[in-house]
Amino acid sequence: MLAGNNLSKSYSSGKALDNVSIHIPAGQICGLLGRNGAGKTTLFKILCGLVKPDQGQVVIDSKRSKPIGGIIERPGLYNYLNAYDNIKIFAGIQGAATDKASIQQTLLKVGLPLDRKDPVANFSLGMKQRLGIAIALINNPECLVLDEPFSGLDPIGVASLIALIQQLAAEENIAILLSSHMMAEISKCCHYIYVIEKGEIVNSGNTNELINRHITSFSITGKGIAASATLKDYSVELGINDARVVCTAGKIPLLLNQLLQEGIEVSSCTPILTLEQLINKNI
Amino acid sequence: MRLLLSAELLKLLKQSKTYYALGAILVIELLILITAYFQGSTILDLLLDNLKQSFYFEGSLLNGNLIMYIVLNSLWFNVPLILMIVTSGIVTDEYKDGTMQTVMLQAVHKWKFILAKYIIAVLFTLLVIGFMMLTTFILAYSLFGNGDLVVYLNTLNFFEANDAFHRICWAFASGAISMVFYCVASLTLSIFIKEAAKTWIAAALFLIITTLLLKVDFVIPALNRFFFPKLIDSWQQLFYYVPDWTQILINNAILILYTLAFAAVGTYVFHKKDIG
Repeated sequence: MLAGNNLSKSYSSGKALDNVSIHIPAGQICGLLGRNGAGKTTLFKILCGLVKPDQGQVVIDSKRSKPIGGIIERPGLYNYLNAYDNIKIFAGIQGAATDKASIQQTLLKVGLPLDRKDPVANFSLGMKQRLGIAIALINNPECLVLDEPFSGLDPIGVASLIALIQQLAAEENIAILLSSHMMAEISKCCHYIYVIEKGEIVNSGNTNELINRHITSFSITGKGIAASATLKDYSVELGINDARVVCTAGKIPLLLNQLLQEGIEVSSCTPILTLEQLINKNI
Repeated sequence: MRLLLSAELLKLLKQSKTYYALGAILVIELLILITAYFQGSTILDLLLDNLKQSFYFEGSLLNGNLIMYIVLNSLWFNVPLILMIVTSGIVTDEYKDGTMQTVMLQAVHKWKFILAKYIIAVLFTLLVIGFMMLTTFILAYSLFGNGDLVVYLNTLNFFEANDAFHRICWAFASGAISMVFYCVASLTLSIFIKEAAKTWIAAALFLIITTLLLKVDFVIPALNRFFFPKLIDSWQQLFYYVPDWTQILINNAILILYTLAFAAVGTYVFHKKDIG
């Protein structure tokens, strides 16, 4: 379990965090959503013990030598070394196993190939993220924090990383906190979401509940959707291939039924939820 | 600590800049050797023409001992600058690559981590000076042979070949202590500054100011004797005709204390400072 209670931090440029409290139970994935400069990285650095808060405290329920692991901003790796030597160095400095079998097991755990002997400077960003996670997991921490893990990854890389994160939470019972400014990625893999803005937690809740509570429009695609009579009763913005309909989550089953009865072959219905909506609802 | 030291050693050995530093030292030596080979005799003849009419010099004055002494003089600026740039990189590179954060996210004591870096920086400095001494020794004696040494320090001092070699060896040892001091100072600067380019400028400035202050009279006798800029030329004092061995030993001992003080300040500041 990882918790931060009433955390505040100020720099000469202003207040970075203001009375922030956050709680991540074991085996759960929590998302921290916020714009660039909202205070996500400062919060992560405080939770990891890299930066001391002006006020408040961090509680980690762990008796292990390394209670928390993570990646802050980007995976910090020795680019002139290969993946094997990177693991060997980071494992060695903290007294973890550095034999060949243990290092290979660590690499395999995060899905990295064993046959890459070249320096990690040649690795793709996705592979660097995986190696960063492998290093974070050395010595079996009970909590893992990942700051912007999806930045710069292609859709395949994002999907693959989400699968890895979910696997770590489910199989190793690790409390995971990850941050992003990308709504879609966070909503796909998190059990709980915190929204941070200008150093304050402005919104939080169970992912499904939070999304349902704030959705006000859907993107619907289907054959003949632009000419639909049903949609005349709603506020609609027609796009090239879809119709963006203003509608709450509770009313969407009825709307879809009406479209089907009208003979519209609906092929997709995607909720439109932006970070701004989650931020502004509570400001 | 042993684990941290072996990790730091592995990093140092795997980085190309380590070999660039050794290469740079070799280039300096070769330049001195080439210049001495083609122009050394002419310059020496011009300088010592009058003396040669009154005194007998055993062997050629352009010999291995003189070359070693000339190379030794690169301890004034060239060698410490190269060493300060390389050793400050031991810390600044970790900040630049984000590995400082990654290391601090592991089960590692901050003070032990930075202390391991200081120890490796000192070992690297000693290795470079040892390399410099050994390569100069081999090249200079094989190309120019042995002979008496003539040195100008306020006046011309002449040393017999064996005495000269003895003094040169001690001068390298004393010079190594000065180089260790500069390297530890640059590592401490890198802890405060964090950025590589700014640290290089600060290190070069530190080196220049220290060299300038060496010649400044501070009026207060204690400052003139014990302030660190006054202690960095102990190796040079070995080439006075009658060296004051006690003073040289005291100066080196005090410089070691200064080195430890700089390392202690750096370790304390790093331990207290936030990372990031």
